[in-house]
Amino acid sequence: MTRWLRCLFLVSGWMLPFPSWADEPLVVAPEPSQVNITTGFTGADLKAVGAMSGPGDLIIKLAGPQQEVTLSRETKLGPFWVGGDTVKMEGAPSLLFLYATAPIASILSPAEQEKYGLLLEGVPVRVEPQLKAHAADDWRKAFFRLKEKQGYYHEDDRAIRVFGNRLFIADMRLPADLQIGTYTVETLLVKSGKVDGHTVGNFKVRLSGIERRVWNAAHDYPWSFGGLFTLAAMVLGFVLNAIPYRRR
Amino acid sequence: MELFLPIAHMDVNIVLILLYGALVGFLSGLVGVGGGFLITPLLIFTGVPPIVAVSSGAAQMAGTASGASYLHWRQGNIDFKMGLILLIGSWLGGGFGVYLAKVLLRLGQFGNVVVFLYVILLGFIGVSMLIESLQAVFRAGAPHAGDTHAMAASKSLLRTWGERLPWQTAFPASGVRMSAAGPLVLGATVGILTSLMGVGGGFIMVPVMIYVLKMPTKNVVGTSLFQLLFTTAAVSVMQAGVNHSVDPFLALILILGSVLGTKLGARLGARLPAEKLRLILALVVVAVAVKMVVTLVVPPSDIYDMTVEVR
Repeated sequence: MTRWLRCLFLVSGWMLPFPSWADEPLVVAPEPSQVNITTGFTGADLKAVGAMSGPGDLIIKLAGPQQEVTLSRETKLGPFWVGGDTVKMEGAPSLLFLYATAPIASILSPAEQEKYGLLLEGVPVRVEPQLKAHAADDWRKAFFRLKEKQGYYHEDDRAIRVFGNRLFIADMRLPADLQIGTYTVETLLVKSGKVDGHTVGNFKVRLSGIERRVWNAAHDYPWSFGGLFTLAAMVLGFVLNAIPYRRR
Repeated sequence: MELFLPIAHMDVNIVLILLYGALVGFLSGLVGVGGGFLITPLLIFTGVPPIVAVSSGAAQMAGTASGASYLHWRQGNIDFKMGLILLIGSWLGGGFGVYLAKVLLRLGQFGNVVVFLYVILLGFIGVSMLIESLQAVFRAGAPHAGDTHAMAASKSLLRTWGERLPWQTAFPASGVRMSAAGPLVLGATVGILTSLMGVGGGFIMVPVMIYVLKMPTKNVVGTSLFQLLFTTAAVSVMQAGVNHSVDPFLALILILGSVLGTKLGARLGARLPAEKLRLILALVVVAVAVKMVVTLVVPPSDIYDMTVEVR
């Protein structure tokens, strides 16, 4: 709570010496600016703290870096369900969280939602290999359904708290299995069905510490890493199993 | 207590993985199998990608088998000549299996092949063991004359077939003479299974060595462990080299768990009669097979599935 109040204080304190802040319809600061995935990483809490020029609705769009995924479809083979066709899908964000002060459909027209990429099932995604329109559409629908089911794409109209029609804080919970890369945070201020202010910020997600070293070693020197680690596993097994017996 | 796995790219509960390791180690100590046939499905059920589960399982078995092999070597239970031929076979099979895994991964069929191989192998071995151990428990080991006759007939058939093969070699440590092609083919089969399924193949290797190669039981366990150690170690290195799929944190936690479990299992195993131990193993194997058959037969909640290529 004190951290929050400090954030509020900082934002309001930052605004005071600059009376011209009111000229800017929207000021936002995502915090933290970098998410480090370390040994005990179970996900991260991200905040967007900001100020707006007056009453209105807010939309925050959090989008992860683009991700390549393979979709597979199970088919029935006799009595068994087995893996059938697979397709690669590229170009869509790994994660798409839409936060708003009210359901987005009720504050923006579909055209405006499409313009700003605010439709969960409207982000561009390429289907490889090129399939006929209706076949590609089935895969695209499945892609969005799975992303929503797994919690990587979702809309929440309760995560933004507004104080006195001026200041706001949005709480965003990121899962543990985050795609590495740059995430964008777009904030839109909506007044009378029109976008009145629009800011874009970003933050980075990266592996750090021992996680980063292990990943780098496993990918940059795969054979040496495999050899040394397997040897280490054998030595550990030997020490733990054999030595206690020897002492008896 | 959560730990982020850098290669599997997910967080897992350390206690849960330790328990998996301990369960496998417990069974290994109790009935003398490597336990790879259990660890891979357990990890897959937890959400670990199949290729990471298989590869890290191989690394874990190399670790667990090293201590046990050392003990058997000190007791003179390893037939090195036999072990070496099995090993050459399993390395060839293992190398082929790793590339097969890569091709299957590219085709998106890796999960399918692993699941089917498991069901067929676990089902066959589990049911055979269950029948054999139930008969042993209820008849207190008294074999029927008909069974003995049939077994002797099949054994003599195998012997005649085996004697016609080339490269007849003596194995003095085990006191047997046979074609080197036998252990070579057995090793290659087990090597492919290790690469594709992360199993050491003990549950295939041990019965074949006892019933087909006719080695003395004490040499079977030591030689099987010796072969298991080097096969799983080679597969672990190859999986890391080709598929970048060995997660060191996952393998280390499994090794720690399995060491604890092995000691508990060995202590309990010393007190239980052999046929009851085999019955326990058979029940576990059948249970895993049934669980996998259910996942194959029951319609999936969503026919589509998504795999992330690179994190």
